[in-house]
Amino acid sequence: MIRKPAAHKSRTARRGTTPRPLRAKKPDALDTLIAASAQALALPFDPAWQGGIRLNLRLIFTHATLVDEFPLADETEPAPVFHA
Amino acid sequence: MLEMAATEPGWSTAAEIVAAVGAGRTNALRVVEATLARIRSRDPLLNSFTALTEQRALARAKALDEARARGEPLPPLAGVPFAVKNLFDVAGLPTLAGSKINRDAPPAPRDAALIERLESAGSVLVGALNMGEYAYDFTGENVHDGPSRNPHDLNRMTGGSSGGSAAAVAGGLVPLALGSDTNGSIRVPSSLCGLFGLKPTYGRLSRARTFPFAASLDHVGPLARSTRDLALAYDAMQGHDPGDPVSAERAAQPVMPLLHRGTEGLRVAVASGYFKSQTAEAVYAVDRVAAALAANRDIQLPQPERARSAAFIITASEGGSLHLDRLRTRAKDFDPAVRDRLIAGAMIPASLVIRAQKFRRWYRTEVLKLFAEVDAILAPATPCTAPLIGQQTFQLGDVELPVRANLGLYTQPISFIGLPVVAVPVPLTPLPIAVQIITAPWREDVALRIAHWLETQGVAAAMRPSF
Repeated sequence: MIRKPAAHKSRTARRGTTPRPLRAKKPDALDTLIAASAQALALPFDPAWQGGIRLNLRLIFTHATLVDEFPLADETEPAPVFHA
Repeated sequence: MLEMAATEPGWSTAAEIVAAVGAGRTNALRVVEATLARIRSRDPLLNSFTALTEQRALARAKALDEARARGEPLPPLAGVPFAVKNLFDVAGLPTLAGSKINRDAPPAPRDAALIERLESAGSVLVGALNMGEYAYDFTGENVHDGPSRNPHDLNRMTGGSSGGSAAAVAGGLVPLALGSDTNGSIRVPSSLCGLFGLKPTYGRLSRARTFPFAASLDHVGPLARSTRDLALAYDAMQGHDPGDPVSAERAAQPVMPLLHRGTEGLRVAVASGYFKSQTAEAVYAVDRVAAALAANRDIQLPQPERARSAAFIITASEGGSLHLDRLRTRAKDFDPAVRDRLIAGAMIPASLVIRAQKFRRWYRTEVLKLFAEVDAILAPATPCTAPLIGQQTFQLGDVELPVRANLGLYTQPISFIGLPVVAVPVPLTPLPIAVQIITAPWREDVALRIAHWLETQGVAAAMRPSF
């Protein structure tokens, strides 16, 4: 069993607290991500939709924070397993 | 029975129809004609159907009756009308999946696998059902087809995304319907409309020729007004199907012979912590079921809130990826609420999605340990009874939560790891609510046995609405 680095251990202490977005805390950070993703994915959208997309992305990042702060071993296999 | 079938088409259960057809008290054609007539007269109130397959249904019913006249044995679901959520392929119809965009798709060349299996067992497909757009929905509302309406109160939501499936069965239009469940889309409408719903183990029932949503979470299953009907349909649909890449290579494990075994010896616990609902209706329903089962023990699922979050991320990402081309070319044809969620989902960094999938593995391992101690776990199916159509928020304890995202609060951490669940409706006035009976993978038999026992005790029942 490979032990987690200290940085991960410190996350354990936050387990069970209200999730706070670790990334993209600032609204402009989300807007930057949205603009870059839209360009990289060739996914243009009506500027009027920006607010709805930002709202949903903020919610996603809030959920992602809760998952991200949970310590997992490097060896933990992602759930879907490809069978050749 | 025959009189009921003759005078009140739609309210007989599948088992009652099979018995009446088998005894020659009626025939498949009369059952199907009466069903179609009832759908035409009553569905304008419920808005549950998006297509009727009248000609093929009548032809199928006649063929069944002709086979019987030739002395051939009747199949186990002979003459039972059923309908499917419109993400199931129906030969000759475009597979809408609740969308405007798919209306331009060519007609499906072949029925979905589960339609073929039910019809091989004697059932008769009568139509396709309304649903939330692309199944990204817990409400049963649809901006293109209008909302399906709850038969217990036409001003209220059915729940979704299998909203039409629930409305059609709860409203007595058909005894059986198929739905899909990615995060709760069978169990939520079963709860709000007061039905029995089975979300089987991930991989148990074939999804071949259904329109996907989030592939690693998508399940399909039946909704009905009795546990016997659920079991009849489930048994007819089981078995490996190479047409679905995740279909388990398992032999069918029929449940009907086990249904009457009761609950003796089964260890049942109540999910605690996160699942301790703060609405009076949900608390009452779980307490009533727990008391009937003498389930005095609480059990803590590990990290259910994180499990829900991980399911949320995977769903958004897989959904966003699935629809990426349509988002590029026809974004304005989506329901705006669905569109914004899907665009956001398409932008999630892969590192977060893979982390969610790693958490999923950890969570599965930890939850499965619990089944060494218990055979079944009880949890609310929804945090509340049916909200009003259009309602944006509901109150859970001191917190006001958005309806659309949170009706699946208690279902998401369970389907996340593919556990089988039977939603059992607890009859309350004025509106029903359901309890989830959760078992270990591949133990649908245990969940259905418990559900059947609760039904025989009158603790669980699909109440007939006054509509």
